[in-house]
Amino acid sequence: MKNFIEITDLKKVFVSGDEQIYAFGPASININSGEFVSVLGPSGCGKSTLMLMIAGLLDSTSGKVEFEGKLVKEPKTDIGIMFQDNTLVPWRTIKANIELQLELRGLKVKDFQNKIFNILKSVSLEDFADRFSNELSGGMQQRAAFCQAMIHDPKIILLDEPLGKLDAMTREKIRADFQKLWMVKKPTVIFVTHSIEEAVQLSSRVILITPRPGKIDREIKIDLPYPRDLNVKKSQKFVEYLNSIHEVFHEYGVI
Amino acid sequence: MKRFFKWMASGWMLVVFFIGFFLFWEYSIPLFEIPRYILPAPSEIVSKGSADLDKLIYYTGITALETVLGYFIAIVLGLGFGIAISFSSILRRTLYPFFVSIEMTPKIAFAPLFISWFGFGLMPKVIIVVLVCFFPIVLNAILAFNSLSNELTLFYKSTGANTLKTFFKIRLPAALPQCFVGFKYAAINATVGAVIAEFIGSDKGLGFYISIVTGNMRPDLAFAGIFFLTCLGLSVFGFVTMMEKILIPWHISMKRMNN
Repeated sequence: MKNFIEITDLKKVFVSGDEQIYAFGPASININSGEFVSVLGPSGCGKSTLMLMIAGLLDSTSGKVEFEGKLVKEPKTDIGIMFQDNTLVPWRTIKANIELQLELRGLKVKDFQNKIFNILKSVSLEDFADRFSNELSGGMQQRAAFCQAMIHDPKIILLDEPLGKLDAMTREKIRADFQKLWMVKKPTVIFVTHSIEEAVQLSSRVILITPRPGKIDREIKIDLPYPRDLNVKKSQKFVEYLNSIHEVFHEYGVI
Repeated sequence: MKRFFKWMASGWMLVVFFIGFFLFWEYSIPLFEIPRYILPAPSEIVSKGSADLDKLIYYTGITALETVLGYFIAIVLGLGFGIAISFSSILRRTLYPFFVSIEMTPKIAFAPLFISWFGFGLMPKVIIVVLVCFFPIVLNAILAFNSLSNELTLFYKSTGANTLKTFFKIRLPAALPQCFVGFKYAAINATVGAVIAEFIGSDKGLGFYISIVTGNMRPDLAFAGIFFLTCLGLSVFGFVTMMEKILIPWHISMKRMNN
């Protein structure tokens, strides 16, 4: 299925007083169903703005987003969303936090009990189902948040630097978890990050955003086999991808 | 029992301090030859106070009624207005600045006016307690309902849940800790409001009692009255703290973790 998501001349301008601040665009891209697309760029380039506009969670100043030919006018609800700061609420246990997603959607929690257990198990959190989020480490919290974002089998998953606050080792582990789940369910993923390595390891396509005002300058198809484990990461091709992206950002004067 | 011993392990210093404080008070009266119409010894306060116990208990009941009634009305009104202002941009631009400016006036200054409007009965005292308690509750409630994190807001929007559902499942529980900051602050002020109202115009209650016995040069009875007032204040505050533990146990444990 081609052109699952079609973005045309999308632009966001924030107005503060008399000043107009270009947050993003204008930019156009198409995303296919089941793609894992990374949006890679320096901080402040508007990548999160782009992600929120795609989901209808933020109004665009001009341009349009279409899903399977249908114009996005209000927040999309067939999505799962995950941020740098997780959306686990402190008054519920991990399991109850996953159920919150279902309750808010009016789905029957009872029908999902097995599924909740399985998804927790897939990220090795099955023994922590009845703990509160503040009893878990940052990495465990993000894994739980991932279960919360995935439990209703969304067709589209939006990840906004979900690993931003974690240490290198934990990031590595969670990347592998993400990849495993994506390979099984094949949702369309839009992954906002400023880590070049993360983008290359996970994505089927990397979209490079220029510094302010953020524009889509280049996109790179990552032609590497999944799962992209340590062996793939050691390969010559992987390193070449990293280097070519490094060069682009060096050109921008970002690094 | 285990918790009691645990408390004793850390609380014994406080107990020793209190005992020391009252012993110092008791023996400094004869030592420094302080006249008893200026400052009575604790033992005298206990003995004279217990002779007046019936009256003290009755008056405590009166003041407690004013305090508790006013306090609960303030909670209902404060939460109601707080939620309404948080959800309505018109109210946020009108009522909110109005409340903030009234917060700056000492509410107690209205007390004589209320007495002159509504007489010496229960109502003016309750109104003054409401007035004193309302503002910290409403201002904290507005803050509470407006400080939901950006992430949680986007999360509930992405689920398509309606306003009522998100209110009860996310906004209300998220707001409760900050609301309790207001409830607790108001609990401290509630007895103050009741007593000052009684000072100004009443024929019963602990405030009335304290002002009468002080006029009769009986500081021993005044201290007895103050003791009962303290107990009343502690009870109200204790009740709110207990409600906090029951309603938001997760918040208490979170605070403990952070300490």
